[in-house]
Amino acid sequence: MAPLLTLSRLIDRATEWVGRWVAWLVLAAVLISALNAAVRKAFNTSSNAYLEIQWYLFAAVFLLAAGYTMLRQGHVKIDVISGRFSKRTQIWIDIIGLAGFVLPLVYVVIHLSVPLAIRSYVMNEYSSNAGGLIRWPVFALLPLGFALLGIQAVSELIKRIAFLRGLIPDPTQKPEGKSDEEQLAEFMRLKSEAAAREQAALGKTP
Amino acid sequence: MMQFLASNMAPIMFASLIVFLLFGYPVAFSLGACGLFFGIVGVELGLMPQTLLQALPLRIFGIMQNDTLLAIPFFTLMGLILERSGMAEDLLDTIGQLFGPIRGGLAYAVILVGAMLAATTGVVAASVISMGLISLPIMLRYGYDRRVASGVIAASGTLAQIIPPSLVLIVLADQLGRSVGDLYKGAFIPGFTLTALYIFYVLIVSVARPSWTPALPSEARTIREDDGSPGLRSLGVLFLLSVGAAIVFAKTRPEGTPTDELIVVSMCVGVGVAFVLAVANRMLGMHLLSRMAERVTFVLIPPLALIFLVLGTIFLGVATPTEGGAMGATGALVMALARRRLDLPLLRQAMDTTMKISSFVLFILIGSTVFSLSFQAVDGPVWVEHLLTSLPGGQLGFLIVVNILIFFLAFFLDFFELSFIVIPLIAPVAEKLGIDLVWFGVLLAVNMQTSFMHPPFGFALFYLRSVAPSEDYDDRITSRRISKVTTGQIYWGAVPFVLIQILMVGLIIAFPKLVSSGLGKEPTVDVDKAFQQMQSQDRQPARDAPPMFGTPPAASGTAPSGSAPAAPPAAGEQPAQNSDDDAMKRLLDSMQADKPKKP
Repeated sequence: MAPLLTLSRLIDRATEWVGRWVAWLVLAAVLISALNAAVRKAFNTSSNAYLEIQWYLFAAVFLLAAGYTMLRQGHVKIDVISGRFSKRTQIWIDIIGLAGFVLPLVYVVIHLSVPLAIRSYVMNEYSSNAGGLIRWPVFALLPLGFALLGIQAVSELIKRIAFLRGLIPDPTQKPEGKSDEEQLAEFMRLKSEAAAREQAALGKTP
Repeated sequence: MMQFLASNMAPIMFASLIVFLLFGYPVAFSLGACGLFFGIVGVELGLMPQTLLQALPLRIFGIMQNDTLLAIPFFTLMGLILERSGMAEDLLDTIGQLFGPIRGGLAYAVILVGAMLAATTGVVAASVISMGLISLPIMLRYGYDRRVASGVIAASGTLAQIIPPSLVLIVLADQLGRSVGDLYKGAFIPGFTLTALYIFYVLIVSVARPSWTPALPSEARTIREDDGSPGLRSLGVLFLLSVGAAIVFAKTRPEGTPTDELIVVSMCVGVGVAFVLAVANRMLGMHLLSRMAERVTFVLIPPLALIFLVLGTIFLGVATPTEGGAMGATGALVMALARRRLDLPLLRQAMDTTMKISSFVLFILIGSTVFSLSFQAVDGPVWVEHLLTSLPGGQLGFLIVVNILIFFLAFFLDFFELSFIVIPLIAPVAEKLGIDLVWFGVLLAVNMQTSFMHPPFGFALFYLRSVAPSEDYDDRITSRRISKVTTGQIYWGAVPFVLIQILMVGLIIAFPKLVSSGLGKEPTVDVDKAFQQMQSQDRQPARDAPPMFGTPPAASGTAPSGSAPAAPPAAGEQPAQNSDDDAMKRLLDSMQADKPKKP
């Protein structure tokens, strides 16, 4: 089990690294889209390349981040019923889901999409729009994103099994410990307390 | 046995979907697994063609190319940056002080600020959390009824769901195969009607139970003149001046300027006048304006500027909703930078969250695409159609059943899941019954808004619970002991607003004009259509896939490609629809063509 846990840690680190960098593509897409709209309005010129790069980036964001989202447990579930189960049962559900739901899906999508990506690369296919972009990178995103998802699923599977054997603490605790909303609430609380202190200080020295 | 399986595949598959979803594994993968499982079984049993799954990669490419959904990360990022920028806090503080001294005033302030935040962005959590932290303690301090206070806060936060720009409307537009712009326009009046209904509720409460919503003592106002007067007169004068300027400007516009353009531009002029006056007053030290007037003006400028940047440009036809989202996000970034609220950790965190949300939403869509691929192969849509068209009462019967269904599903599912799983099943039936899909979308959006308010799972209640005091505490100002807000109080507070929501659903069904008067008389053909056109162009291969649900604006990934055949009724009048190959030119053409057509 120990080498597998090492593997899982390696995968987690790699996934984290991917997530860190892919996040910047969000900003890139926003800026390109805003700039494109502004330039088109102001100078009445634009190119299909700018329109296409936006969805290239978007596709890259959500596909490449799928594994990272899984690591952070960002894929929502309906836990109305399963939330009442014991921790071990929930972990078993995860194991069945990872091995029976995610991995087969990943396999099928990669199996079907790799030939398309290769064909597009060999044929040097371009977008049919004037000034459009080369196509194969975006075709390649599909198998790549699902591969990252599959690799992360393996890591999650290892962690679940290790937990059931009592080797590691509960892997389903969120790594940051807090949800985004909790972080936001804490941030705002700090700000409003600071503002209140400021006001109190102002009130004392008028 | 085989015979039974083969003839009842669709209901079996649907029942299994429910089991798969309730199993408690992430929705995206449960959906995909359910589709995959039945696809493989179906092929093995010879019920489905061997090549069934071959269409899958192309369907997913269709999702990747979807320009409408591109707006999701843009609006999400905008909301995440804004929630940290301090804009909501400033608004709540100032508007709260302005209205506080009238009975129920704090509640009105919360509703109005909620509506304004909703018009800048579409994130429920941010509104509820900031109101829960800023307005709730003040309401408790002055003895507001806890149920009313928490209900108003939770409900005002959910206004973000219906007032454009909202994510629900984007997702619904995509799934219904209609343009986001049309749904935005259609949701405008219902959104503000709902706001008015909330205000009306507070009014009734303040008359019937004055002790529940007391007026604040006037010393609770900290923004005041040196002599202690509140300085409302100069605010009134400033308000009249800017309204006057807007009206005068509107009158000077040439005849035949489209109404929405007129409203947007005139509002800009009015706000601009107030802003210039306030700046001049401060710069020249004229002291003509009271502090309150100045504060209100400066606090209102950022949200109004953002509203113009996003909704204004979309309604004027300058930008597509997707571009509007991008400009709004850029505007929010600039504003946060200017207020020195933006740093690298915040930016990273916002991008990180945006990325995760985009990924989970799009993977639900991918999962539902896999599911619908198999579901179509077993004629599932036909089964659903038979089920729903055999209801008594025709259109009305269908609407009532669908709304009750969504209302109860909203206890368990959030709007993303509802939109991707349920809408593709009922939209084709609605269209067959002759229901306008834009109107239908707005109706469902109002209904789905309840999913945030349903006790005990509603997210808005959950967010409020996380920031409302859960233990007794001493108030900072009055030093009095204030008891905690119980979870029961939060739940009971939400009930009247859920009822208002149901009332609103009824109103929209009874008066369809509420939605359609926001749209033009003519079917407006706008930029989205052009986008969809150009998408369908390079998605030619996707059309070889079996047609989804038999009707074009059907499910998931193929909605845009399907909308090409759906377009003709509107497309006939669209000059941009010729055989022109250049997508960019088509986009520009259709924008131009769109403009004069607005009534």
